[in-house]
Amino acid sequence: MLYQPSLEASYDQCLKCHACTVNCPISSVSTEFGGPKQLGPELQRMTQNQGILDDASIELCTLCGTCDRTCPENIHVSSLTAYLKETHAEEVGTKFRDIVLSKAEWVGKLASTFAPVTNATMKLKPARKVMEWIMEIPAERNFPEYRFNNFKRKYKIKESTTERKVAYFAGCYATYNAPDVADSFVKVMEYNGIEVAVPKQNCCGVPMFANGQMKAGKKNAQSNIDSFLSYVDQGYDVVMTCSSCTLAMKKEYPGYMQTEEAQRLAENVYDADEYLRILYEKGELNDSLSALNDKAAYYAPCHMKGQGIGNPAMDMLELIPGYQIEDMAAGCCGQCGTFGFKKEKYSYSMALGDTMVDSKSMAESDYVVTECGMCKNQFDQLTDKEVRHPIQVLRQSYELN
Amino acid sequence: MEIFETEVAVIGGGMTGVGVLRDLALRGVNAVLIEQFDLGHGTSTRNHGLLHSGGRYAVKDKEAAVESYQENLILKKTVPGSIEETGGLFVKVPDDPDDYVEKWVNACNTIGIPIEEVPLQIAFAEEPYLNRKAEVVYRIPDGAVDPFTMLVDVTADAVEKGARVLTYHEVTHIETTNAQVSYITVKDRYTGEEKQIHTKLVVNAAGPWSANIAKLANVPMKIINNKGMLTVLNNRINKQVINRLRMPGDADIFVPAHNVTIFGTTGINVEHPDDTSLQREEFEHMIMKGKDLIPTLPQIRMIRAFSGSRPLFQETESSDASGRNVTRGMALLDHEQRDGLKGFITITSGKLTTFRYMAEKTVDLVCEKLGITSNCQTAEVAVPHREAKQALENINLTPVAKKKLFSWAGVNASSIKANLLKDNSIVCECESVTWAEIESALPEKGQFNLGDIRRRTRLGMGPCQGTFCYRRAAAMAVEKGVATSDEAEIALQNGVEKRSKGMRVIATGSANKQLELMDGINYVSLGMKKGGETYV
Repeated sequence: MLYQPSLEASYDQCLKCHACTVNCPISSVSTEFGGPKQLGPELQRMTQNQGILDDASIELCTLCGTCDRTCPENIHVSSLTAYLKETHAEEVGTKFRDIVLSKAEWVGKLASTFAPVTNATMKLKPARKVMEWIMEIPAERNFPEYRFNNFKRKYKIKESTTERKVAYFAGCYATYNAPDVADSFVKVMEYNGIEVAVPKQNCCGVPMFANGQMKAGKKNAQSNIDSFLSYVDQGYDVVMTCSSCTLAMKKEYPGYMQTEEAQRLAENVYDADEYLRILYEKGELNDSLSALNDKAAYYAPCHMKGQGIGNPAMDMLELIPGYQIEDMAAGCCGQCGTFGFKKEKYSYSMALGDTMVDSKSMAESDYVVTECGMCKNQFDQLTDKEVRHPIQVLRQSYELN
Repeated sequence: MEIFETEVAVIGGGMTGVGVLRDLALRGVNAVLIEQFDLGHGTSTRNHGLLHSGGRYAVKDKEAAVESYQENLILKKTVPGSIEETGGLFVKVPDDPDDYVEKWVNACNTIGIPIEEVPLQIAFAEEPYLNRKAEVVYRIPDGAVDPFTMLVDVTADAVEKGARVLTYHEVTHIETTNAQVSYITVKDRYTGEEKQIHTKLVVNAAGPWSANIAKLANVPMKIINNKGMLTVLNNRINKQVINRLRMPGDADIFVPAHNVTIFGTTGINVEHPDDTSLQREEFEHMIMKGKDLIPTLPQIRMIRAFSGSRPLFQETESSDASGRNVTRGMALLDHEQRDGLKGFITITSGKLTTFRYMAEKTVDLVCEKLGITSNCQTAEVAVPHREAKQALENINLTPVAKKKLFSWAGVNASSIKANLLKDNSIVCECESVTWAEIESALPEKGQFNLGDIRRRTRLGMGPCQGTFCYRRAAAMAVEKGVATSDEAEIALQNGVEKRSKGMRVIATGSANKQLELMDGINYVSLGMKKGGETYV
């Protein structure tokens, strides 16, 4: 269980130790960004009872949550910066591009419907030049491909008939871009005798929070809370494969919503490998994993680290006989969801990305393993390495049997 | 030894002294002010920063209430850059006597202090920290005054009009010839160098030290130094001044001041004017009392505590009672009448809010003595405003630092702007203080002193209390050739020790962690010496 301070009380505890700023990925590549300490607790203190104050440099905050994780006083710094993003959006408005990027679910539905066209267009240089000109999305930026046969189209089970019941939150990426991740999750659960139910769900809201669309994000949060809590009440565990969606439900929903429902849902949310690790610890895991003589490099996304549950993916993959996996121990990838798609942020994105891929364990690996689709996008941009979700690797190991 | 002449020497660079200096300057009287440390070393920076509207004294001391209300209106007009018109509330909580409310309302109405009853729900919405059991709330035109900026601005205006100021100069001798003050000797605390100031008249405005000054002139005088403790809350928890609607007592005022709230106070008579000691029991007593207005007070983080003495004049038994008590609020003593010493006047007691009025009455007497016919102008002529939005609108700076400078830079706007173009670093993050401000606050000559910079810029006034910014400022001063590394080191040691004194007494919870971090960084990680050399 993560510590859940209330927004009002927490910033008061700031000791000015600078841990958040020192560890902030953006502060490490930009002097323009005020940094989490300044734009979080300090700005709160300097504006309390003195009116609101907008700071445009908040656009550079990626909501990676590194500040939250490094704060010795457990201040939820990123919820302060998220609210400042909202203030900024209300003061100066939101770019059309950012509105589009924040609507990942809507884009996913549309792009997936016209998938072959979408994917081809995104690879056309002239089209991308026009996009850069109109939308300020860099022409050289890699885009994830969309799948026509998305997860929503093919998997419609809403109720689980097995003893252990799992309600799966797939998230936009596994739904529209990487349905193989969602399929693999369903399969791995099947191997463990669990039937997966997929409740009604909307985008977790993370792209909205990151673009200052707090109200829209909260609306999505509330609909997901309502939908998944009804499953929790029937004894389901909520399990997820996207680290950002998972962190949102575990930490951001209780932090932003400040409701008992959000808190109760958070207590029943698990990352897929975290959940499998629990099964393993309870002796319930199907251990008929076949040997894989692969050498993998594991990259921990910021939103995985933010969950404070260690490296469950590595814990699980190490159970595969013959499998070698090493933690890249790298910092933020720089893609940071929608951040890396923005022209004015592209140089920061690349500066962070170059640092990430400069890794010995990656160079020596057959492929990279990571949970986050956006981090994968950055790997695709910067390297030729294949990137797999840990659940895909586990599925492969089960299926070899 | 440097010898120079002046018509009037004012001793004491507190609010009263600088008020007298400016009044003299505006009337064209040649004057010099002598202060033993920095401006406002004593009581003038060790108070609530409350611009009274008279409500507190309405029942008990009508004359003081009238003066306070009149001065409230005058200061809002004449020192606008140092005053925030926050407004204030008077709040009756369950244990406060019911009959006081009626007495208070009648007294305010008689005096003409505008009051207005506030429906409780509105008061709670405005001030969420206020006790929900409050029974009666009145609105009153209180304000918050920044004593640091007011001192600096009133002094600067006096200097601009020809007055001279000697800070860090101690009066060591007062020479009298034929029952008339002839000169005073002062000593530079930094260099040890002495100066003789030949003067027709000395105004003793030394506050808690005024009995010591009187003693140098062989005049018997008794000042009761009534020490009060105050604490600085980590945040600005209230929008407006919150007073308790009862007879004035301990720990019953919360004043919003920039990013914090100042809460106090207590009253204990002390022997020595330099006694600014802080006791944990006193602090705890204050918190217990303060809970009546703000029930969550014990959970609210504090930054530090401080104390200062109210100099209360008491006529000695030995002297005849010819001292001219203008009101119960202030004491203006004509020592020619009282003690037979010509050229010596003492002005003491009073309140921050009434400093201008005290100065007016004092300078009226000075002019009478010197045979000058000149009317007081301080009720009309304003000191320059601190507003500087237009001048600094286009500078490249973080919004929060910019916002501060808009209401801070004032007459220094152009020098700060020029400095910012060279270096726009933020030195103190808690209070968003730039190097540019520090640079323009540095004296042309004189010692590098972090306390002096703090009082002029708010450097180190935030939660970290200089842990990071004092060190940064000292390092930058050396880097930029403003101070030698030895000077910077001494300044740092002195500064850190003074900051930590105020933190230690309140250190529980977050405040204690903050202090531990400060001590750890300074004394463990960086091996700074404790109790180092002091320069004054």
